[in-house]
Amino acid sequence: MEGIMFYIISAITVGGALGVLLSKDPYRAAMWMIFSFFGIAGLFVMLHAQFNAMLQIIVYAGAIAVMIMLVMMIMDRRTIESLKRFNSQFYWPALIGLALFADLAFLAYKFKIDTSNAGKNLAINGSNTQMIGEVLFKHYLLPFEVTAIILLVALIGAVVLTKKDIS
Amino acid sequence: MLTEYLVVSALLIAIGATGVMIRRNFMIVLMSLEIMINGAGLFLITMSYYLGNVSGQVMFIFVAAVAASETAVGLAIAVMMYKRKKSVDVNDFSILRK
Repeated sequence: MEGIMFYIISAITVGGALGVLLSKDPYRAAMWMIFSFFGIAGLFVMLHAQFNAMLQIIVYAGAIAVMIMLVMMIMDRRTIESLKRFNSQFYWPALIGLALFADLAFLAYKFKIDTSNAGKNLAINGSNTQMIGEVLFKHYLLPFEVTAIILLVALIGAVVLTKKDIS
Repeated sequence: MLTEYLVVSALLIAIGATGVMIRRNFMIVLMSLEIMINGAGLFLITMSYYLGNVSGQVMFIFVAAVAASETAVGLAIAVMMYKRKKSVDVNDFSILRK
């Protein structure tokens, strides 16, 4: 049962990614991207990461997709739809991508770890969110603060880049 | 099941990298970057499950924050180039080099 669900959800995920890669219309590509993100959220639920599945839906399928769609909406429709699909020389990069996949898949087949702890230590009292909170604020407090600074820098950078009098 | 999850993650990373290399529309290049980051995040969550250690899930939160800021900066560059060149073609973005 779990295997069948896994294959259905991973087909959704990979199909969405292929839709982003191959569709000509950027709006349609954004819809495929959201499709793929929901598939990944499903995979996260199968891996007992419920908090991250919800984070995936809220941050990626919600915030990032809406951000990309809004920026596409302020642009002229014909400008971004009239582009050709691929670069003039797309054969070699596609081959490089295939080689990258072959390499990573080879590593995945060679990869052996001790899976005796699989599925353990992921929740306190059945709550995945509580476990993440404990670990995040006990062991990763400094990286968490640095993340706040990264977000601030990105905010300032975005504002400075889109100012009117840039030369 | 571990190998299957890793193969899906590898597929996402490879598809995203191919999209970054071959697409002309900068918006779709950004979407492909998101797909790549999600492939890396799937790897983190898979390892977190199979090693029985919740740190991978905490790492994914940081990855999501970095992905959000990267998208914000990338979209700011897209808007800037659209204002200057009226185009989101990556071939027109070579002006950034000068």
